[in-house]
Amino acid sequence: MRTYDVCIIGGGPSGLCAAQRCAEAGLNTLLLDRSPSLGGQLIKQTHKFFGSKEHYAKVRGIDIAKLLQEKLTSFENITILTETTVVGIYEDFVVSTLHHNQYKKIQAKAILCAVGASEKFLAFENNDLPQIIGAGALQTLVNQTHVVPGETMVMIGSGNIGLIVSYQMMQAGMKVNAIIEANDCIGGYKVHASKLRRLGVPIHTKSTIKKAIGTDKLEAVEIIQLDEHYQEIPNTSRIIPTDVLCISVGLSPLHQLTSMLNAKSAYIQELGGWVPLLDDTYQCSVPGLFACGDMVGIEEASSAMMEGHLAALHVCAYLNQSHPQAAELIPYYENQLYELRNGVHGAKTLKGILKRKEAMNAQ
Amino acid sequence: MDKSKVILCRCEDISLDELSQKMEEGYTTFEDLKRILRVGMGPCQANTCAHLIQKELAQFLNKDMSEVSVHKVRPLTLGVTLNQLANGDQNED
Amino acid sequence: MLNKTGVPTLEQVQSVFFNEVTLSSFKAVIECYEDIPCNPCALSCPVKAITIAPTLHSQPVVDPDVCTGCSICVSVCPGLAIMLAKVQGDTAIFKIPYEMNETFSPQQKVYALNRSGEIIGEGVVLSVSNKKHQNKTSIIEVQVDKALLHDFITIRGIHHG
Repeated sequence: MRTYDVCIIGGGPSGLCAAQRCAEAGLNTLLLDRSPSLGGQLIKQTHKFFGSKEHYAKVRGIDIAKLLQEKLTSFENITILTETTVVGIYEDFVVSTLHHNQYKKIQAKAILCAVGASEKFLAFENNDLPQIIGAGALQTLVNQTHVVPGETMVMIGSGNIGLIVSYQMMQAGMKVNAIIEANDCIGGYKVHASKLRRLGVPIHTKSTIKKAIGTDKLEAVEIIQLDEHYQEIPNTSRIIPTDVLCISVGLSPLHQLTSMLNAKSAYIQELGGWVPLLDDTYQCSVPGLFACGDMVGIEEASSAMMEGHLAALHVCAYLNQSHPQAAELIPYYENQLYELRNGVHGAKTLKGILKRKEAMNAQ
Repeated sequence: MDKSKVILCRCEDISLDELSQKMEEGYTTFEDLKRILRVGMGPCQANTCAHLIQKELAQFLNKDMSEVSVHKVRPLTLGVTLNQLANGDQNED
Repeated sequence: MLNKTGVPTLEQVQSVFFNEVTLSSFKAVIECYEDIPCNPCALSCPVKAITIAPTLHSQPVVDPDVCTGCSICVSVCPGLAIMLAKVQGDTAIFKIPYEMNETFSPQQKVYALNRSGEIIGEGVVLSVSNKKHQNKTSIIEVQVDKALLHDFITIRGIHHG
């Protein structure tokens, strides 16, 4: 069984940035990803990113994935295994993996989990009809496999993902009949919403789906209006015909790997659900186990990247092989995160992070 | 709402109706429900149903979501065949 | 309003527009009405006509005396929230960002749409630009009636039959 200094699980924006810093510090680095290509969710993001230069603003997500990967090519001390799923991690930091038909174990001195999140689902009548799909799945279907599942769709959820995916589906030639939002305000950036409104896509706030209609597959959805307590207002139901129903109601952090080692976790609504608790160095309650990115709090690719850099720098310190520029880079990336979160949209995340800190100190 | 037509666990095809019945019968932790209904034991390993069931439990028990336990996670995250496991040491370097 | 509908009010639009005298040559009109962490427009402007201060979240402000109407910011903005506008006689000419499948050619007649996606008139395409630095965001130059100055935002092809 081969031993690595650090095993980074997840090759999305967070893991890729972490791998760069670990490799730079001279650590014998293993980067694992279950997909055929590295980049995580970035490889489906055809839109241009926000943020500042450090966050690759104005660059399309698909291109950011390539840029991040290119940073890894010059290192000899990094091993990258794709199509390799981590199926288990154990107390002694043995990591078991499945690659095609092969089950294989490796030994790590430190583990950095950056596995991201999975889509939340919604409970409503007939929610198992064919043609009901999550936003991330729809993005994979259309942007990666280039298959359009129908001509028309209704989107549930007006957060950034719901708005961005609706726009991308319009670009793919689908017609978005409506975007449905339960709150009384649009969840995502208003510029995303404006882009859709000028294309004639209606956005209905204070609304939700009551049931999906169809026999062998989806044919229409029944939408109702909600009062300020999110209860149905009677007699407001209407039927919208649609081929596809896309659900974009949030992401859940994938805490399974850290939970497998009994790392302390807590349910923090502001961060998306169950998250492993962290100290100030992105370390979990299990020494040597680190986590970063969406799996410790649902945010954005830009923050995931910054956290990947930071967590890696701390992993290096933990292994007594500090990164040569750690003293400059750590405050630099912490400042980047501060800038990203220092606004209206970041307030919720900051609240969640504070709760996560308090929970770690309390337990 | 016809609870029998609301699916919470897609892998095992468990409806809200079935879940409600079991909760009424006294199965009020995710671990209990997992054992009696197989929720969370399918291919997605609770990725779809965990938060939905957690929400139902919280409502049923009149507790906050943060007070409802999550399911126990153990290796392996995916189905791995005995054949693959047995041949595992041939792949060690 | 914008929060609930995604459509800014006329007052909001007018607040980022310049007067007709200033618009005698192309000027950037930035409809970024929300504090979000984003600044590629300011960073990409070759003459530093766009200011985002004091923080990354501040809304961009265009200095029309400095803006040369080069259109770099139009294709850079990730939110497609920037266009150029010019008043010429009794017409208004716009350069808008465009990322949909429809292609347009110069002299083509098109529908003029407002921010709610409603057809408010017709226009004519003057030019279509797809330079490499635009990174696959087309910039379409469209001429419409001057009366549509604060309503026009995008176009759609006119299809018969």
